[in-house]
Amino acid sequence: MDAPAPAAPVSGIAPKLPRRGFMQVISGAGAAVLATLVGVPVIGAFISPALEKKKPENWIKVADDTALLDIGVPIRVDLVQTQDDAWVESRALISVWLYTEDGDVFKAYNGKCTHLGCGYTLAADKKTFACPCHRGQFDIKTGAVLAGPPPRPLDELKVQVKDAVVYVQYRDFRLGIPERIEA
Amino acid sequence: MNAIGRWIDERIDITGVRRSLLDRKMPGGLTWWHTLGSATLTVFVVQVVTGIVLGMYYSPSPDHAYDSIRYLERTVVSGATLRGIHHWGASAMVVLVAAHMIRVFSMGAYKYPREINWLLGVVLLFIVLGFSFTGYLLPWDQKAYWATQVGTNIAGTTPIIGPAMVKMLRGGTQLGAATLARFFALHVLLLPMLLVIIVLLHLTLVIRQGIAPRTKVLEAAAPSRTTDPAYPGYYRSQYSRSKGSGVPFWPNIIYKDVAVGVVVVAILVVLARTVGAGLEPPADPSDTSYVPRPEWYFLPFFQLLKLVPGTWESAIAVGLPTAMVVALLLLPFFDRRSVRSLVHRPAAAISMSVVLAGSGLLIGAAVREEPKTAIAAQIGRPLTSAERAGKAIFRRQQCGSCHAVAGEKPVEKKEDTPDAPELTEVGLKHSGAWMHSYIEDPARFHADSKMPAFGPPTLTHQEIEEVTRYLMTLRGTTGAKPEFRDTFPEPVKPRDKP
Repeated sequence: MDAPAPAAPVSGIAPKLPRRGFMQVISGAGAAVLATLVGVPVIGAFISPALEKKKPENWIKVADDTALLDIGVPIRVDLVQTQDDAWVESRALISVWLYTEDGDVFKAYNGKCTHLGCGYTLAADKKTFACPCHRGQFDIKTGAVLAGPPPRPLDELKVQVKDAVVYVQYRDFRLGIPERIEA
Repeated sequence: MNAIGRWIDERIDITGVRRSLLDRKMPGGLTWWHTLGSATLTVFVVQVVTGIVLGMYYSPSPDHAYDSIRYLERTVVSGATLRGIHHWGASAMVVLVAAHMIRVFSMGAYKYPREINWLLGVVLLFIVLGFSFTGYLLPWDQKAYWATQVGTNIAGTTPIIGPAMVKMLRGGTQLGAATLARFFALHVLLLPMLLVIIVLLHLTLVIRQGIAPRTKVLEAAAPSRTTDPAYPGYYRSQYSRSKGSGVPFWPNIIYKDVAVGVVVVAILVVLARTVGAGLEPPADPSDTSYVPRPEWYFLPFFQLLKLVPGTWESAIAVGLPTAMVVALLLLPFFDRRSVRSLVHRPAAAISMSVVLAGSGLLIGAAVREEPKTAIAAQIGRPLTSAERAGKAIFRRQQCGSCHAVAGEKPVEKKEDTPDAPELTEVGLKHSGAWMHSYIEDPARFHADSKMPAFGPPTLTHQEIEEVTRYLMTLRGTTGAKPEFRDTFPEPVKPRDKP
């Protein structure tokens, strides 16, 4: 292992220098390789949540046959949705109001009042939605606020009709603010 | 930068630390075998780093442990690699600690003045084994559950204190939630703390005493025993002479340590990415057919227990590990001759070879006796709840007393039903619909069938369907694709109700 004895008696440093430098480079490079080998998966897993892709589209069937739906009267559809909270699976009850004027074009509203998230109901006159918590009122045709404290219209959801089956893309939005921001 | 460096150096003397850590002279002629200790340290650091991130994706409760591991494996970026590195790192720790110990043993490096460091090393060995025992349970899969069941039961065979020890290990009488929380706490809180403290002591002693030199250096004209009053003086002069001809730690020695570290960690990453850590079906305490297997480095011990007769079992199960600990701890005090090379220590050479060869043979025997793949593995996924329900009904109805299923615990066979077919591959031969009708009323298919009808009221249709679902998972071990050969009888006329 030892370097050959130096020829000059002055010092062994001069001929040893390149070898010493080489060993330093090897050690440094090796340490960098080690750090990379372990660091990549470790940091990858650590920052994994930040790399998460956008939520997949989530179309939920809300009505089996458009022909069976009342024209001009909204209906409430209650659904159990499975929510993934990392490795814990929980079930949440969600509701959607479905409304059509002609049986072709459908509107769907998130069942939570935009004020503080109470479940609203159809008022007795069947023309407005009324929220029991703070007396918010919404128009069934547009979702616009007619009275009360709600800061924005009802949250409309995307609707798709395929072979007379109605699907809704369910989303929750932040409550109590005038802007519509996905929660 | 230089000014800041100088400012700090004037106050805390970094240069001095550097001189005593990096520039210290090492005795000449160190071999590659001398890198085993630092390789162990490298892998330990890898275990700590990977373990911390694994902890971010783990839930130590039987409800969620398995799901959290599956989430890590499937959803987290490089989660499977991370777990693979930690899994193989555990094996590497055991291998490297053992190899390091063999190196120290065969070079007689535990002798004067390093007896204390040998003792610390023995303690470290058992901490590492403790890590692997507690870590094994955490995924809460079948393997984890049953291996821990056996492991804790072994502790239970200890005379007098056995029953108390089992309860202490399990946190109760049964293996369950309390056990998992307990093992988790030991694995991530107590053991790492102990290990770090003792490793620091171990390293401090290595630096203070210097690494053991080549055996020759300390054998020439040495007093025959280390207890000789002249020995310490002799040792000091020989050691400083060997250091005089040596090289500085940085970079002449350290580059070897780094090189070995890179190779070891690269192997871990390759194993993690190709083989992975594996995850069996979730722990099922009702599954009596599961054959528990410990991690491979416990196999010699596991196999030995199979070979000893019943009455001796507890003596071996508890006595052997205890005897090993005592022997390892006493070694430096028992052997005080000054000869260090294995060539001059035939008894040590022979006993080491016997232990190593014996462990190797026992591991070989254990691997050969590896049981057939368990049922769930035959379909490559855990059983669904309906299939498991079916399996439970299959047992409850004693189906196994006529029908054999490979991998299932054999039940005492009835002698009057030699024709009952084996069901190991029934899922390849018949469709679910066919099986359902057959179980309901076999006489419809074969008028002279000895199998009773299991249709209502014996079993409900749903129960028959569950049994059917279970039977459909039985596809042998060959990986063949199902090819149904169903023959249905003529449609039956509705029977008259009695």
